Parts: sequence; structure tokens; C-alpha cells
Amino acid sequence: METGKTALYGQHLAAKAKMISFAGWHLPAFYGSVLEEHRAVRERAGIFDVSHMGEIFFSGSPAQEFLQYLTINDVSRLSPGQGHYSALCNQEGGVIDDLILYQLEAERYLMCVNASNISSDYAWIVKQAQRFPGVVVDNASHQWSQLAIQGPTSLSALLSIVPSDRQAPVQDLEYTQIMPLMIKDRLCYLARTGYTGEKGYELYLPHELASWAWEEIVASSPLTGIRPIGLGARDTLRLEAGYLLYGNDLNESTSPLEAGIGWATKLAAGAFIGREALLRQKAEGVERRIFCFRMEEQGIPRHDMEVYRGDEVLGTVTSGSVLPTLGGAGGMALLKAGTIAVGDSIAIKIRHEMKQARLVARPLYMARVKD
Amino acid sequence: MEFPEHYLYSNDHEWLSSVSGEALVGVSHYAIEQLGDVVHIDLPRVGEEFTEGQVFGTIESTKTVSDLYIPASGRVLAVNSAVVAKPESLQEDPYEEGWLIKIAVTERPEKVMNCRDYVSFIQDKL
Repeated sequence: METGKTALYGQHLAAKAKMISFAGWHLPAFYGSVLEEHRAVRERAGIFDVSHMGEIFFSGSPAQEFLQYLTINDVSRLSPGQGHYSALCNQEGGVIDDLILYQLEAERYLMCVNASNISSDYAWIVKQAQRFPGVVVDNASHQWSQLAIQGPTSLSALLSIVPSDRQAPVQDLEYTQIMPLMIKDRLCYLARTGYTGEKGYELYLPHELASWAWEEIVASSPLTGIRPIGLGARDTLRLEAGYLLYGNDLNESTSPLEAGIGWATKLAAGAFIGREALLRQKAEGVERRIFCFRMEEQGIPRHDMEVYRGDEVLGTVTSGSVLPTLGGAGGMALLKAGTIAVGDSIAIKIRHEMKQARLVARPLYMARVKD
Repeated sequence: MEFPEHYLYSNDHEWLSSVSGEALVGVSHYAIEQLGDVVHIDLPRVGEEFTEGQVFGTIESTKTVSDLYIPASGRVLAVNSAVVAKPESLQEDPYEEGWLIKIAVTERPEKVMNCRDYVSFIQDKL
């Protein structure tokens, strides 16, 4: 597959980004320093090009009924202008993708999915939609750019592109809400969501506005401290905040209960794909569960490294990194549940050496998304 | 980006201060720029011996782990514990304060380049 360029490719090069290929896209890994970018988002604000993410629209009168069946969360609890975290599961209760679903209007929804899963998600959704005549599914991923503006000063930075008569509703937007926003006569959607653990926004906008919006927002830097942030810091920020990364922390063989997103899995809300398997799993108890841990010795845990207690292999690291806000290193691991608990000592096998670590409460960093 | 002229360089981006006697070994500014923030360094113990091109340690950035290849055969005489304790200091100075190990060169290296050749080697990547 040819690697795609987002509408902001030129901006990344001009900012001297270290570009990497991710999910079929040329994207910035970092512009200078992952650690500095991470700190900027925690203390001030950052802007991310997340145009690689997928946007799938649903409309038609059975849209709600279909989404209730398709996803694990309770869609009937949404109302226009509200979003929630959810997932697509297969019949066995394994996660096909995790996502955010927004209700835009009475019969219109927007689903934001992971870049690497867009085509497989869409194929799965279209197949399931056959049972719901009247539902229109539109994979509009290639028609939308997406910016994430995250951090304590994100609102001020964002307001630099919001028309003056729309600033009040933007200021009132609450966590997980979404609103349509006309900018330069083009329809955009602004959501108060993110993947950093900070107060922040995700802006869906047509490609033609992307460069202008990016530059205007970055130009607010003298006042807001905002700076461009690459995928490297996006990963360390989300890891501290306890957000999962599909493909690392969960995949088709992981259930939402194992992944610790039982809170988004509404087993009592009626039928959905995978519910039977998840009810069974809940009754029997999960065999594995995602835990957070922090290193107590030097060394950086990485995806797939083995986790031990004594000679016993408990599981593997699903995500590991330095933890810039907390100090030291740590991550998440999928471990045998039942006999272990937060506070327990574990060891991570880092290139032939056992390094001590400790299970800690999730998340590592308490999100400030509602500030 | 700087590359001291009196050093020799390998195509794995390590530098070597001398081809005989006692020599310092480190990584080039180019390698540091590619890695981004260096967050962890693993180095060998004093007394360990390596042949040219062997892995003598690892250097980790926020996202990747890279092996360190020794640019000349030799025995480790000293390890820079200051840089192990403060890996981020490599970014500021990979050449003087940022040396990694000191070796007694046991054999004249075959694959190192002078500064001019190294710069042209990485030119098309810059």
C-alpha cells in the first residue's frame, strides 16, 4: 500500500519533523523531543495531526438500533451532541476495534475508528448492516482531516479559529460532547474528547481548511504555549492516562472485560454482537486482565516482553515506555488474573535480565479532561 | 549537526577517537538526532572484549531500542557512568562529555571512515 500524505504533510516537513510511516500514513514521530512535547501538553497545549483516524457516518431511521447491536456501549443513552467510548466486538467477544461514537442528530452518528482498522471495520460494519435495511453507512475517512488540540490552554488556542459568534457555545462544550461548527463556510465537527488525559478537543474538518487551521492555532503559541506534537508523545501521554492502543493493548483475542473497559460494556442494555460470550466470561470470571505497572529498577519495558512472578510467567507487556510526567518507566501488561493484585511485585524480562516492577492502580496519571 | 574532524566513524554511526592505543567510543550527532530523546543506555563491564562490529550495548529512545556496534576490536577500559546516569546529556554533547566507553584497541579497524567520508555517507539521508 502506498503511504499517504495528510493535508499537513508540508507543515510537518517545514517544522523539521522526524517522519515515520504509521498505518499507511506519513506522520510525525516528533518535531524535536518527545519528552518536551509530552510536557508541553501536560503544562500548556499541543496540536496533533490525527488525520489518519477513520470517520464512518451512520444515518437512516434504524441507525440507533443498528449501532446498539454493533457496538458494546448503550447507544440509547446518547442524545444529539453527545459521544461515548465504545468498541466493535466479534461473536466471541474479541475486540475488532475501539472507537468513539458521537450522535450528531436524531438519525445521524459519527464513529471515529483507528487508522489501521478502517477498511476491516468498514467491511465488518457493512456486513452486519445487511440485517438493518435503511441504514446508510458512509466511510468518509478520506474526506476529513482531523486535529487534536490538547492541554490546559487548548481552549484559548482553539478559539483562534472559531468565528466570534460561535465562541460562547465552544466555551460551553463539555467533556465527550460534539457540535457542528461552520468555519469559513465549511462544516466542521468539534468534539471535546482526546487521547492525552488533558482537557482537549478533536476537530474534524475538510482538508482545505487543515493548513490554515493548523497555522492559526500554532500562531497562538506566544499566548497559549501550544506546539506541534508527534506520535511519540501521543503514545506516552495516552499510556500515562491509561488509554488503550489497539494492536498493542487489545486485539481480536482480547475481550473488553479483560482490557478493563467493562465500564463501557453495557451487558444489560440488550443484544449486541459478542454479548453472549461476554456474559459467559463475566459469570466465569476473566482469566487475564490488563494491569498497570511501574518499574522499580532501571530499564524500559516494551511491547511483548514477558512478565514474571518468581519462575511463573504471568503474561506480557502490552505497552511500555518512559513515563515523562511520573518519572521512571512503566506501562500496561496483560496478566493472569485471580492471584495477583495491585501492590504486588513483578519482574519484567528486559533483554535477558529480570528487572523489578510493581503493579499499580490504573490509570498511572489521573486525567484532567473535565477541567 | 556537528562531526568532529579528528574522529573516525562507522556506518552504524558510532565514532572512535583513535585507531590504536586507547580510544574513546561514542555515537554520532546524526544517530542522536534520529533517535530523539535518549532515555536509557546499557553498556558493558570493564574488562569485556569485543571484536569490530559486535554489539557492545544498547541505546534507547522513547520509542526504540538500538544496538551499539563497536567500531574497533578492543577491551573495555572504562565506562562513562555519568552518561548512563543521565542519558539525556547525550543530546547536548555526544562527543566530549558523551563518550560511552574507553577501549584498548587490539586490532586496527577495517571499516571506519574519516569525517569527510562519513558526512557524504549520511548526506543523502539529511
